[in-house]
Amino acid sequence: MTSISDFDAPKPPPWMGALVPFLIVLAAAGFYWFLTSDKEKSPIDLDSSQEVKLSGKLSNGQTYYIFASEIEVYPTNLENEAWDRGEKGPDIRYRILWKGNAVFESVTKGDSLIADWSGLSIELNWKDLLGKSVSPDDVIKAGRVRFDENETIEIVVQDVDIASDDDVGRKEILLNGLSIGKNVIRLKKSPANAIRRITLRILPIGSNLQDLANIMK
Amino acid sequence: MNITRFFIALAALLLGIGLIAPTLTISPMAGELTWLVRILAPEELVPSTYSILGVIGKLYQGNDFFLVLLLSLFSVLSPILKLSFFWQASSQSYQQENSNSLFKVIHYVGKFSMAEVFALALIIVVVKSFPGGSSAQLEWGAYIFTCSVACSIIASIRIEKKDRNKALQ
Repeated sequence: MTSISDFDAPKPPPWMGALVPFLIVLAAAGFYWFLTSDKEKSPIDLDSSQEVKLSGKLSNGQTYYIFASEIEVYPTNLENEAWDRGEKGPDIRYRILWKGNAVFESVTKGDSLIADWSGLSIELNWKDLLGKSVSPDDVIKAGRVRFDENETIEIVVQDVDIASDDDVGRKEILLNGLSIGKNVIRLKKSPANAIRRITLRILPIGSNLQDLANIMK
Repeated sequence: MNITRFFIALAALLLGIGLIAPTLTISPMAGELTWLVRILAPEELVPSTYSILGVIGKLYQGNDFFLVLLLSLFSVLSPILKLSFFWQASSQSYQQENSNSLFKVIHYVGKFSMAEVFALALIIVVVKSFPGGSSAQLEWGAYIFTCSVACSIIASIRIEKKDRNKALQ
């Protein structure tokens, strides 16, 4: 009968000791994870389940919000005269026409050669502060258009006056050439056009609000 | 167990917990539109708490592979490797057999003593520079992690001291 003493027992290789800290780290992490995994709430999934493209060209059949975030006009009107009497600037308003129908009309921005719109607007009442929920559609101030190949929209810009509204210009835009996000269109002065620049913003409908907010910035 | 090994084991224990425990709470903001998002979709602004491994996982999901590599290296692999070397160096028999080469490695690895803290600082800097006024707050896991670093520093000092004493003899 043979007995193996400590002296005779095979010695583990010297590097085996180096595994001890690794095993302690693993055991501590595993133990902590085991203790807390049930208690952890599942984090809110910020990624929407809907797969909506947030950049690049427009997709066929997809519906988009479209609005002009900025419109700049030339310093003189179509007749090369001052916009309003005196030194006042034009009161700019625009409409978006799609398939011959006005799908959106902006509020009027007074006395400005460069007018801007945020695309977001909300009117809050006292009762809203008590937890009323507001739908994104209620606050997004933009037209809705569906993209199809060779589809166009028309932007009609006017100088709003008390007596009658004067045309500033209109521009037909092919949707194929537009991208999601910011699109800048520059125009030359002509007898039919006094718009210098239109900045259009296009946002996909169906994306989550944070994405929309980021595109609008 | 000698005192040096106790500190190494403690550092490893704290490191294990520190990697999984809540380390960072990120409070997202949407810049000028925060007020609006708060009304429309308040769930988008709920603060999220991450562990160090959670941050690495989140960065991986975002395809930030460089940061994943950097953080994995400095906050996971380097500390474990360092503690393994320390454990080996604190072994009496190993000190006698391989003293020169191992202590050279220990000196080299010791330079990374604060690398974990740097990694943690890096996470905060990255988050602090998020757009829209998002903010980051340290959680208790970060302090556990820092204690782990402190324990490993103590262990490295003790090993170096032993090495120096041995050289003088």
